[in-house]
Amino acid sequence: MRILVVEDDSLLAQGLTRVLARAGHAVDKAEMGVQADKALRAASYDLVVLDIGLPDIDGFEVLRRLRLRHAGANVLVLTARDAVEDRVHGLDLGADDYLTKPFSVTEFEARVRALLRRTSLPAGAVSIGRLTIDVEAKLIRISGTPIELTVREWALLELFMARPGRVLSKEQIAQQLADYDSQLTTNAVEVYISRLRAKIETAGVHIRTVRGFGYLWETSND
Amino acid sequence: MTSRVIRRNSIRRRLLLFLIPSLLLLVVGAAALTYYVALHVATFAYDRSLLDPALDMAANVRMEPEGPRLAMLKQAQEALLYDHEDTLIFQIRAPGGAVIAGDEDLNLPPNLVPGERSFFDSRYHGEPVRVAAVRSNSGLYVQVAETLHKRNRLIWEILAAGLLPALLIALATLALAWTGVARGLAPLAWIRTQLLGRTPHDLRPLDEHTTPVEIAPAIEALNRLLAQLRESNEMQQRFLANAAHQLRTPLAGLQMHLELLLRRDLSPEVREEIAGMHVATVRAGHLANQLLALAKAEASMDDSGRLATVDLHGVADHAVQEWVQRAIARDIDLGFVLEHATVAGNAALLGELLDNLLDNALRYTPRGGSVTVRCGSELGSPYLSVEDNGPGIPESAHGRVFERFYRIQGTPGDGAGLGLAIVKEVALRHHGALRIERPNGNDNGEGTRIVIRFPAAAPEST
Repeated sequence: MRILVVEDDSLLAQGLTRVLARAGHAVDKAEMGVQADKALRAASYDLVVLDIGLPDIDGFEVLRRLRLRHAGANVLVLTARDAVEDRVHGLDLGADDYLTKPFSVTEFEARVRALLRRTSLPAGAVSIGRLTIDVEAKLIRISGTPIELTVREWALLELFMARPGRVLSKEQIAQQLADYDSQLTTNAVEVYISRLRAKIETAGVHIRTVRGFGYLWETSND
Repeated sequence: MTSRVIRRNSIRRRLLLFLIPSLLLLVVGAAALTYYVALHVATFAYDRSLLDPALDMAANVRMEPEGPRLAMLKQAQEALLYDHEDTLIFQIRAPGGAVIAGDEDLNLPPNLVPGERSFFDSRYHGEPVRVAAVRSNSGLYVQVAETLHKRNRLIWEILAAGLLPALLIALATLALAWTGVARGLAPLAWIRTQLLGRTPHDLRPLDEHTTPVEIAPAIEALNRLLAQLRESNEMQQRFLANAAHQLRTPLAGLQMHLELLLRRDLSPEVREEIAGMHVATVRAGHLANQLLALAKAEASMDDSGRLATVDLHGVADHAVQEWVQRAIARDIDLGFVLEHATVAGNAALLGELLDNLLDNALRYTPRGGSVTVRCGSELGSPYLSVEDNGPGIPESAHGRVFERFYRIQGTPGDGAGLGLAIVKEVALRHHGALRIERPNGNDNGEGTRIVIRFPAAAPEST
C-alpha cells in the first residue's frame, strides 16, 4: 500500500515512517501542508496520515482540498489540539479516523490496518483466523469447510467487515439490516448475532458484546 | 473582648448629616424672621388702640384754678380702660412731674414736646408693659400702660402659623431624603444581585446602559477591571493550552521511538530501563492532555451564551469506540445503560467529562472488574454517571478527590489527579451537581458511582 505521512515534527515523522515501512508499505513524507497538497495531486495514495498543526497551511485545509478533488484516499488525522473539536471538524471534512497525540504504536498500527482493510475489502477472499471469507462469491469457509449463512447473517458479517475494529450499536445494526426486509428490533439483532456467533466462533473469530450497547468484531489478533 | 462598633460609611447618614443642620438653620432663621414680623404687626396694631384712651384722657383734663383735674367719671374711666385680656393703667402727670390722676407706680415718661406722642416698653410692678404717652398742649403727660398678654398671644399665633408648616416641611424633607436614598440606591442593589449570582468564571461586563448616569462611571470602571481580569485569564489559559499542545508532539515522537525500541531484542536490564522511560512518557502525555482539557473547560466558562442542546446518549455514543478498546486491553467489562436525555451545554466539554470519568474508572478498577456508563432522566433531571466495582473512594477523601493534583494516598496507577478536577469544572460549567455514591444495590462498600445531575431544562430536541 502507498501511504503519505504528513508531519512536521521530524522525530515523530521518522517513527511513523519506520512503523509503516516495517509493515511493508511504501511511505512518502511531507513536512509542510503545501508539499503534502502537491504530493496528493501528483500521486494516488491508499492512506494519508495527516497532522493538523502544520507550519504553513493546516491539515484541515490539505484535507479539504483533497476531498474537493474527490480523491478516495483514507485519511487518518493526527491532532495535538483539542481532541473532541478536531475530531468533529476533521470527520466533517471527510477524515476517516483520528488519533490524539501522544498515541501508542500499537494503537496507530491497529488504526492503519483497519483503514487499509476498508480499501482492500472487495478484493477476493479475506482470511481471519481459520475463517476465509469470499465476499464476491458470498462464501465462507472454516479450515476449508463451507459454512451456510442466511441472507441476514451475510449482511451482518459484511457490516462487521466494512467497519473493522469498530463497535456497532444494536440500533445501527438493526437499521442496516432493515433494508432487506422491514423493521428490525434490537432483540432480533441479538438473535442474529448469536446465530452468526455459533457458526463462526469455532474458527477463532470472536464477536464481543459491548454490554448495553452493541457488538465488536475482534480482529486484533490477525 | 471589647466590642467596637465600626461605623461604616453610609450615603444615607452622609445625606442626613448634611440635611439636618441645614434644615434646622433654615427653620431657626424662619422663626426669627417671623418673630420680628409678628412683633412689628402686633406692636403697630395694638399701639394705635392704646393711644386712643390716652388721647381721650388728655382731652378730659380740665385746667382749674387749683390745678389740672381729670373730669371723668369713675365708670367712664373704667370703660375706657377696660380690656378682657390685659390690664390697663393710666397716669396723668402735671408738667412739673407730679401725678395728678391714675396710678402713681408708672415710671416717668420720656421728655416730650407738647402735642408729641410716644410708645415705649416699660415695667409696671415688675411686669413688662407697653406704654402710650401723650403730652397735651397744656404740658400734661398722659400715659396709658398695657400688659403684653394679647400682644404676646398674637405674636405666638403668627409665629405658630408660620413655623408649623416650616417644621412639617423640614420633617417631610428628612423622611423623603431617607426613602429617596433607598430608591436612588436601588440600582446598586440590582448590581449586587447581578454580581452575587455569578460564578467565579463569569467575567462578562455589567450592562452600562440600564444603570443611572450617577453610577455609570463606577460600573464602567468595574467593567474595565472585569475586562482586564478576563484578558489575563484568557492569556493564562491560552498559554496553558499552547504549552500542552506544544508538549504533545515531541511526547508523541518520544513515546513512539521508545515503543519501537521495546520491540527489539533487548537485554532484560535495558528493557526495564526503557520500559520505565516509556511509563514516564505516557504519564507526561496524559498530563499534557488533561492540562489542555482543564484549560479549555475553564476558558469556555466565559461564553456561557453559546449553549447547545446536547443529548447525553450521543455524548456516550462518541466515547464508546475509544473506551471499549481500552477496557478490553485492561480486561474490564465496559457496559452501557443509556436513555435519551438532553441538557443545555457544550458537547465537547461533556465528552471531556465522560472521558475523564471513564479514564478514572478504568484506572482504578482491577482487571476482571466492570464499569458501567449510565445516562437518562431521574425525576425530570438529566444525569450522567459512571460506576465501577473497584475499591471505592474512602468517605474521608470524598471532599478532596475533585481537587487538582489530589491523589488518594496508597493508590496504584499513574494518574496525575487532574481527571476529576476536569469533571468538576465541566459539571460546574453546566450547573450540574456532582456526587460520589455507591453503585445501585451495593451496600458492602465496594465500588464507586460518580454521578452528575444536570438541571432540568432543555426541551427534547427532535
